[in-house]
Amino acid sequence: MSAAGRLRDTRSIIVVSGVLVVVVLALPQVLDAFWTRRITLWIPLALAALGLNLLTGYNGQISVGHGALYGVGAYSTALILNEWKWPQLAAIAASAVICFVAGVAVGLPALRIKGLYLALVTLAVATLFPQVLEQFSGTTGGSAGLAITNQEMNRRGVLADRAIRVEAPTWTGLADDQWAYYVFLAVAALCFLVVRNLVRSRVGRSMIAIRDNEVAAEVSGVNVAIVKVLTFGVSAALAGVGGAIFAILQARVSSGSFTLVASLYFLVAVVVGGSASIAGPAIGAVAIGLFQDVVTPALPESVTPWDLNAKAATPLILGTMLILLMLAAPGGIVGSARQLRARLAVRAQRPADGPIPTPTTGGTP
Amino acid sequence: MKRTPMRHGAATLAVALLALSACGRDADTKSTDTGDDGDTTSTESGGGFIDPAQDCSDYDGTAGITGDTIKIGTVRPASGPYAIYDTVTKGLEALVTATNSKGGVKAGDGKTYKLELVKGDDGYDPARTPAEVERLVDQEKVFAIVGEIGTSNNLAVRQTLNDKCIPSIGLATGSTEWGKAKEYPWFIGGLPSYATEAHHLMEWLKKEKPAAKIALLYQDDDFGKAYQASIETSIEGSDITVVAEESFNPLTETSPESKVAALSASGADVFFVGIGGSPCPAAVKAVPANWTPLTLVSVTCTGKLAMALAGGKDEGLVAVQATYDPGTAADQSNPKIKAFFDEGGAAGLSQGDLEGGIAAAGWGFGSMFVKGLELTDTVDRASLMNALWQLDGVNYGLMLDDAKASTKGGDDPWVIEDLRIVKRQAGSWNEIAPLTSYDGTSNDFAG
Repeated sequence: MSAAGRLRDTRSIIVVSGVLVVVVLALPQVLDAFWTRRITLWIPLALAALGLNLLTGYNGQISVGHGALYGVGAYSTALILNEWKWPQLAAIAASAVICFVAGVAVGLPALRIKGLYLALVTLAVATLFPQVLEQFSGTTGGSAGLAITNQEMNRRGVLADRAIRVEAPTWTGLADDQWAYYVFLAVAALCFLVVRNLVRSRVGRSMIAIRDNEVAAEVSGVNVAIVKVLTFGVSAALAGVGGAIFAILQARVSSGSFTLVASLYFLVAVVVGGSASIAGPAIGAVAIGLFQDVVTPALPESVTPWDLNAKAATPLILGTMLILLMLAAPGGIVGSARQLRARLAVRAQRPADGPIPTPTTGGTP
Repeated sequence: MKRTPMRHGAATLAVALLALSACGRDADTKSTDTGDDGDTTSTESGGGFIDPAQDCSDYDGTAGITGDTIKIGTVRPASGPYAIYDTVTKGLEALVTATNSKGGVKAGDGKTYKLELVKGDDGYDPARTPAEVERLVDQEKVFAIVGEIGTSNNLAVRQTLNDKCIPSIGLATGSTEWGKAKEYPWFIGGLPSYATEAHHLMEWLKKEKPAAKIALLYQDDDFGKAYQASIETSIEGSDITVVAEESFNPLTETSPESKVAALSASGADVFFVGIGGSPCPAAVKAVPANWTPLTLVSVTCTGKLAMALAGGKDEGLVAVQATYDPGTAADQSNPKIKAFFDEGGAAGLSQGDLEGGIAAAGWGFGSMFVKGLELTDTVDRASLMNALWQLDGVNYGLMLDDAKASTKGGDDPWVIEDLRIVKRQAGSWNEIAPLTSYDGTSNDFAG
């Protein structure tokens, strides 16, 4: 690509990201409290998808058990806040550490098991997790859930539970929901930055090398075992941060949020957004968020003349759309955007009546 | 490296924008949606159980009232294995339609109000309830939540609704949690306390079968555990024993058959079915031929619809009742049931739904809300709650004629406490022990 073309490309990237940043930061100012809370709940989804993408997209290990790791993060946070009354950000950090350890534990069998069989092991983790929560319902609250609360004297002098929520400091002038959005957005931005730098580092290249050819990677001096297990750990830690934020936002955890369905949604976010890209999981999370919070509520509960409940058919609709998307754009949204950009670049470079230059793959990060 | 200045520029722009926009939205976007009588800021509620000036941080008493229409919301499972409970909401909806077609509710303030119902679907999954309730409260701006289904589901939103001072009336659950009106004065249950129900059954059992050996099947949540705890407390000091227990989890298990099989081998002569939804009649159906216990069933599964799912094994079941049963021939001549059949039928309930018993429950939850409106001097959230917190022997909905509903704030938070024992005979529920009043004592059986 010519120097001028590259500059133009870089400029357009900066303009697009600038606009995106402005939009993302302005959203809670434009939206009301309800919608701000809804879009804030997309952040944990994006973080879990980011973690899963690191594992699946960059390292080639398939996990359908991230819903459980997400749950470990959520329950760790709930218990830490309830029992020890730590600050919320400290609880998130602690949950990340706990999930890292849990991820390494789940990742150990992955050294011997690959592909479909690994997916099955993680499937078992995903299925078992809600059952474990039920088994220890004394601590976890089981399906009824566990509220994240403080015992406080209420206004009428009765000792009652009060939900621990995110409260905006007065100097910000922000409402609680807006503050929560910005704080967790910052946490998410930090996580995305860490992952971006990680995959561009030597370790990141090792991950990708293992994904592409494990034997070749090992021959080239990559410590396959350590890289794979650590990737699992980091991936789980990211899911844990997501789960922790989810728990704090809801001020409540219950086993129904951490079923296999949660794991599948993360996988869908990765696939829809585009695997092996940094922005993919975020875009996928937004797509799923839009589907769950905007499209689904708009669906009718009864479609005449068959009296079908379109709302209840949401998973069916999502599944069908996923299949169609995979047929039309196997690279997800990011993949399609890359293709489009490459095509445009080719067109831009084509001189008025000169020969068509070879398309380059440059310009993609 | 060349890009750095531009990046700095973008970052600075972003930060500046953030700082500027911080004051963009007012701290309170809640536009006070006052009705046309916004000036009469309830002086009456000052002396009641709830004092919004003291209990609420930001209180909007008349949100959800537009002109002469009061918007109410409910959440129920319209999909999944517990979709059978959607019929409760059909009953509530029918009550709303029937009320409006009669011209509306004549409230205590002398005006007549129409009702509007908005529904949410959480699939009986408490993880999904908060989003649905938030939508109803923040988007739809409902005045109150009425007849929301499920113990865990209501618990999942109790903190939020109580903090926001939004009434939750006629909850479709009898968990002992609804006895905590001192902590959560905005929640009022629509069913008898499950603990009182179990206690009443145990009291009856002490007379009928003083050495009963109970096999207990309970739902693994607050609902089922209320039965479990109350049974334990109630049989203390008697010769009745619980010889076997099994828990059933509605979210992870589909059929209680294996649990029933295990219980049938326990040598028990009484089978207590403390689970709800379609698994309840399924448990009755699963009783093997060689086990013939006296079976006691939860009040939540006594309707004709549930009984039809019991595989013909409903004969001889014993349960507690606080309302008339539209599926029982003897009750069908009662004027309340007749009115329910006429008005509910006109409002779109099918004959099956009318007789099924489940819709009748929803009709009752809605009736409690209507009763509250009739009794309140001022139509606002706190006054309505205060009216319901000082009921004095009223009778509403399909309640037994001799039953009385009395409340007294946190000291007597249970509305329905008059119960009788009925037995299933040839497709009808017949009284076998007369109405007993537990007024003001329901919290004692919570265990």
